[in-house]
Amino acid sequence: MKKTLPKYYPLIPVFAAYLIMFLVGFSIPGMWQMVALLAFYCALGQSWNIFMGMTGYVDFGYVTFIALGTYGMSLGITYLSQYEWLGIGIIVIGFILALFLASLSALLEAFIALRLRGAYFAIACIGINEGLRYLIEGAKFWGGSEGLIFFGALVQALGRETVNQLTTFWADFSVFIIAALAAFLNMHYMRSKIGYALTAVREDEDAAKVMGINANKYKTIAFLTSGWLGAAVGAMAWGLKLGYVYPGDVFVIHYTVECIVVVLLGGAGTLLGPVIGGLIYGLSKYWLAVIMPGFQLLIFAPIIIIIIVVAPEGVVGLLKSKLKGTKLEMFIE
Amino acid sequence: MKKNYLRVLIFMTIFGLLFAANAFAAPPSKLVIGHPACLSGKYAKAGEQAIGGVKACIDWVNNVYGGILVGGKRVPLEYKYYDCESKKEGVTSLIERLITVDKVNVVFSAYSSGLTLAGAPVAERYSMLYMDHGGASDRIFQQGFQYIVQTIGPGSKYHVGTLSMIDHFDPEAKKVALAYEDSEFARMTMGGAEKHAKKLGKKIVFKRTYPKGVTDLTPLLSDMKARKPDIVVGGGHYEDGQLFARQMSDLDINVKALSLVASATLPAYYKALGGGIAEGVMGPSHWEYGVTFSPDGAMKVGLDWIGPGQDEFVSLFKKALGKDMIPDYHAAEAGAQVLAYVKAVENIGSVDQFKVRAALGKLKFMSFYGGWDVDDTGMQIGHSMVDMQWQNGKRVIVWPLEAATGNLIYPKPKF
Repeated sequence: MKKTLPKYYPLIPVFAAYLIMFLVGFSIPGMWQMVALLAFYCALGQSWNIFMGMTGYVDFGYVTFIALGTYGMSLGITYLSQYEWLGIGIIVIGFILALFLASLSALLEAFIALRLRGAYFAIACIGINEGLRYLIEGAKFWGGSEGLIFFGALVQALGRETVNQLTTFWADFSVFIIAALAAFLNMHYMRSKIGYALTAVREDEDAAKVMGINANKYKTIAFLTSGWLGAAVGAMAWGLKLGYVYPGDVFVIHYTVECIVVVLLGGAGTLLGPVIGGLIYGLSKYWLAVIMPGFQLLIFAPIIIIIIVVAPEGVVGLLKSKLKGTKLEMFIE
Repeated sequence: MKKNYLRVLIFMTIFGLLFAANAFAAPPSKLVIGHPACLSGKYAKAGEQAIGGVKACIDWVNNVYGGILVGGKRVPLEYKYYDCESKKEGVTSLIERLITVDKVNVVFSAYSSGLTLAGAPVAERYSMLYMDHGGASDRIFQQGFQYIVQTIGPGSKYHVGTLSMIDHFDPEAKKVALAYEDSEFARMTMGGAEKHAKKLGKKIVFKRTYPKGVTDLTPLLSDMKARKPDIVVGGGHYEDGQLFARQMSDLDINVKALSLVASATLPAYYKALGGGIAEGVMGPSHWEYGVTFSPDGAMKVGLDWIGPGQDEFVSLFKKALGKDMIPDYHAAEAGAQVLAYVKAVENIGSVDQFKVRAALGKLKFMSFYGGWDVDDTGMQIGHSMVDMQWQNGKRVIVWPLEAATGNLIYPKPKF
């Protein structure tokens, strides 16, 4: 017990941050959707960081997983809501479908793109994202360009009051759980054979292969995990919460860029980084939109530049150097 | 025993006072409209127009009309808006803030069907009146939302006026071709056009979609030419709307009427096509500068009139934005929505969400924007689109006749 506990100490500040966010949202009127927004960015950052942080591969097509997760949930609800006896089970099936679609996509991408490196990998990921979007629109399946709108089907299946609770509370609450799970998996991988193997791959992939590390296997594990978590966020934060999906609204590369900004602000490859990055990014955007509507991006851009200049390794990198040698050091990862 | 009487008396007095206080509650000192506006992001242009339209009509209500009459007292309207950056995450968080922190009396949706849908569950959760001036999808109103009311006309009605007009002037023009962008919006509009064409006894001789960002329409147009249509209805966006007319000209496809959605109505369209090609091209619009809706016109069709006239609206709009800019339909529909809210509140003398929603369901009126009436689901059915046609480089409103600023040139001049 004594041996295993310290290695998970860095999870304490992460979980504490999520708990405080949850309590603020739950107890202060009008704050729930704002903390849900923060949890969304933290969860996305945390999920994206699992692959990028440990391998150094920048996945520009990450939004594909979020979009497929949204489609999984949307398809589950749209096509199964007619079976009344399934009840809340349609959401469980939708969630499983989201993970299944993400798995297919991750394995396909792993087969095609993970053989590539650097810019080639990034371009391949973008290509797969755009290809999938145009496939849905062009082949006209899953609603084609008209998307799926299923709020009404959900109300018919589960009742208005239940749906109100699901869309405005439980969908957001589940994003907190996904964010916490992402942090745990991140920590677990970092402290296990997978993490060591991926660190070796990140530092020098060829050398790692010569040493006998099956780079493709470990990269695929991290990629699949990252994809599952992204799909889970999409299923709950976009699918269940909003009750509709349009391909043009979900296969948007802008959201991958947001993941990158969140992680780089907080600290790439760190555990606490995506949480701090998500909080800085989400809070700045929200309050600037409230205080200076229309001008927030003008203020926000210099804030990001200043943070990156002051802390090139992210806020966590700066914190680590400040806390080096102190008792708090073991909590910062 | 005496003590018991005293207790009952005190209890009844307190209860009576509470009841009276509730029954004769003082009217609010102001009414606030909340809006997660699109000031940045992909809908920024429409968002700016909407804000200008709302501000212009609030200015008219407060300073010309004298405030909104509720509980026997006239109170001013206020406007609280934030920037959702045209993103769904922004819409949900800001709507909750508007309802719970700013305590607004009504929420106006953000622009587009997607963003309107994104905000609807939050508005429903708080039983908040949610007025849609930017989401044209019919499917929004098939979801069972209880507090949503639409001002913008539904997508399926865009070409209803166009086809009725052609049928009015030339009932013999029977062959209709539909060629449009593969997008949710274009599919919705063309679905409505097809349905109405069939209702009018027309024959759909050609129907095909093209992908977004298309760069060559010649194969599609060549095929369409072979079907010899009288009327061509199509488009989807500004860029493909230009390509459509240009390549029809290249292929020498001359038809009696050509109507393109979401492109031909834009002022830059004529110039972009170098003039001649755009001559006679038509497009449907929710509102165009120059429409002639007036109190007299409202009286003729038996509707109440409220709000500024067109020129007054334009002047208030310019003042609101501080720019010499002509409002487009995004501004007009957002402004008309303010007027609908004012009428509904005044009709019932209450700001209770459920009652105002019910009042909006019964409301029929006319403003500078045109007619206003919604069905049981909250979908707009009273507002007719106007159809404009390029004539000698000018946009002329040709339909409906009560709003027309000129006569239709029919058949369309050859390319």
